[in-house]
Amino acid sequence: MAKTRELRLPALQVKQGPKRMLYVFSVDGKLVHRFSTISRVRRDEEGELRGYQRPEVLSHIDEIKRFIEGPSPMIPNAVVLAFNSSVHFDPAGSEFHPEGYSRPGTLRIPFEEDMLDEDKPAFVVDGQQRLAAVRDSSLDSFPLSVVAFITDDVSEQTDQFILVNSTKPLAKGLVYELLPNTESRLPSSLLKKRFPSQLLNILNAKRHSPFRGLIQTPTNPSGIIKDNSILRMLENSLNEGVLYRFRSDDGAGGAIDPMVTILCAYWGAVSDVFPEAWAKPPKKSRLMHGAGILSMGLLMDTIADRYRNRIHLKRELFAQDLTPLKEVCRWTDGFWDLGPGQKLKWNEIENTPSDIKQLSAYLLDKYKELVWDANHPSERRARGG
Amino acid sequence: MKFFFPDSQDLVDPSFDFETERRAELRVRQRDDLYAHEVFRSRAYDGLLVSKGIVDGYGQVGSRYTIGQKHRLLRNGVKEFLRIDKVPYPLEVMGDCGAFTYVKEKVPPYTADEVINFYSDCRFDYGLSVDHVILSYQPDWDLKGAKPPDEVKDRQALTLSLAEEFWTRCKARKEGFIPIGVAQGWSPKSYAHAVKELQAMGYSYIALGGMVPLKTAEVLASLEKIAEVRKPKTRLHLLGVTRLDHMNAFATLGVASIDGTSPLRQAFKDASDNYYTLSRTYSAIRIPQVEGNAKLQKKISSGVIRQETARKLEKAALSAMAAFNNGKLDIDAAVEALTEYEELCAESTPKEKKASAAKSRQSRADVYREVLSDQPWKKCGCEVCRSIGHHVILFRGAERNRRRGFHNVWVFYRKLRSELGLRLEDAA
Repeated sequence: MAKTRELRLPALQVKQGPKRMLYVFSVDGKLVHRFSTISRVRRDEEGELRGYQRPEVLSHIDEIKRFIEGPSPMIPNAVVLAFNSSVHFDPAGSEFHPEGYSRPGTLRIPFEEDMLDEDKPAFVVDGQQRLAAVRDSSLDSFPLSVVAFITDDVSEQTDQFILVNSTKPLAKGLVYELLPNTESRLPSSLLKKRFPSQLLNILNAKRHSPFRGLIQTPTNPSGIIKDNSILRMLENSLNEGVLYRFRSDDGAGGAIDPMVTILCAYWGAVSDVFPEAWAKPPKKSRLMHGAGILSMGLLMDTIADRYRNRIHLKRELFAQDLTPLKEVCRWTDGFWDLGPGQKLKWNEIENTPSDIKQLSAYLLDKYKELVWDANHPSERRARGG
Repeated sequence: MKFFFPDSQDLVDPSFDFETERRAELRVRQRDDLYAHEVFRSRAYDGLLVSKGIVDGYGQVGSRYTIGQKHRLLRNGVKEFLRIDKVPYPLEVMGDCGAFTYVKEKVPPYTADEVINFYSDCRFDYGLSVDHVILSYQPDWDLKGAKPPDEVKDRQALTLSLAEEFWTRCKARKEGFIPIGVAQGWSPKSYAHAVKELQAMGYSYIALGGMVPLKTAEVLASLEKIAEVRKPKTRLHLLGVTRLDHMNAFATLGVASIDGTSPLRQAFKDASDNYYTLSRTYSAIRIPQVEGNAKLQKKISSGVIRQETARKLEKAALSAMAAFNNGKLDIDAAVEALTEYEELCAESTPKEKKASAAKSRQSRADVYREVLSDQPWKKCGCEVCRSIGHHVILFRGAERNRRRGFHNVWVFYRKLRSELGLRLEDAA
């Protein structure tokens, strides 16, 4: 049998109630797996439910791994462990500090090298992905703070597991609004939103921006255009349209000023050409609705491509190309004539992929017909259908 | 004979790291990815085929393009979108309707003008007329007194009248692409009839549709019948037929071009022939991702298989392959690691079907031993094999599987050329 060892760690005992004690300490994250195990949820031979933890999520672990392998990582939130009663705390003195409710001492954790999982003295209640990331990381060590309690009762662990995992996630809009003020490594999904969010903030604040104050965000609840519609329009153009030209090679950002100039010129022209539909709530104007913003965004990329050799794309130029579309747009009343048997009341356009697809195809088709082809008599083609 | 490769947004991500399996975080799909013609310095095909059905999506078949990509394609044209204008040798692009996407409909959902607009906006070199696939092939219906069902005859008549409309509209609109008429049929005689009609309309380039499920002998029988009516200058295109065994016969019967995705798809769809070489095919080595495998994932989340075990065996299989590739591990040890992980992925319950598991383990081990002792990836000169080495033989995730598919396309093109007795440098 392997020799029993004992891990002795300086710790604080915290008195949270008459019978409730917590232990706060720090330990190398690489070490934790040697004395603790994950209680995976499963059915035993009799069909009884055992354990509580779900499997590790590789993509999530990889995000954390990338973060802690980065230049200056910090994980301030503690991992939660449940010890069995083989773990003991030796207080250094007998008194609890009256203000801190705590007293220092030593936590004694017995363990064996290569012990079986079921014999280990600790269960991971919260932080299995963080621990896995430290375990798999290329670092030699990474200290983590730990909060632990001692119990032999699995139901108490399960309670805590459910409690820590039932918190409500932050509203997406608030996260996006906070992004431009961050600098560190964020999860990939957020990293992709950081630059578009920065552009959105500028458009919503800049003095001469046609969007000034119009974009609804958690800190600008009176705005009328959903932040998500603007973000998607910006992402579309950054990936596929005119903004891509100014994107930096690494994709993390780009030349902000020319981007904002083009956006203000184009959307300023949209507000000039459709004054009756601009700055009205989406219930009264489909131009301010997701479908309107997205399909008009695609039109921006098309017009910019038509003039791809020009350095400056002025508001007047955009307005000149948009004006002929006035007659076929029904942002605030009437019916969209989307083709044979395809009449849609102005407010029946919804913010769904199929409506966005249909509306943008219609607008781009009309643009080709009324502007692109019409202004190049030498290249004019008969267009049917 | 030209080989056109049908595109369905098959690209690889050059930032993908095969060791860490990570990619550049801010990579933009398609724009930062590479097509096969950007991966290989030498030709792997003479052109590409792009379907309206793939771009638009139809019914249950979703579009392969995002809405932004689609509009960029229409604005800038297919050559700029596929970045073939930057390739040092010429590549042509053929447009078609993707008739299989709407095969279940009574009539095709597009008008001739809609399709011409698509070809014209995208600036294709060739455009196929609107067609409707006939799925039954019954040479018996050529016999005297036999009556092909109305539905079949209607589909051919419809395809022919749409081809006529397509031809007339193309001529009236003075479009820049070369129109190709599509012939649909159910037998040698009916194909010959369609070709005759199309020639009468004015077509001198004719595509034969609906031949994908046909046996090679049936394709030949139809081509021979067509030869009786084919004018000397009429060129034929075989839609979706990539059989190498009779390419010379096809060529003598007037086939000027073919297209097909099977070299690509076999890399990850076929049960055994996944990796092409000039002389034979090999099976790829399966090391599925623990997280990418739905069956395994279910067993893990229900607690039947321990996640730690699965990860450990997966890792062991991967490092065994790496060590074997470097000559640091012998075949037996490598095969042992591979089959151990594969068994875990395959078994339904730990106790179930021990005997049959052992049997399939043995046959798998034999297959792996063969490919491992030949190490075909070390003998291949293509850019994929030279740059990613043994990863090309691993059946695992889209980045590896699609690269193996690209390799197959490259090999297929070489086999096709040599089959036809053509040098690679020759213009097609």
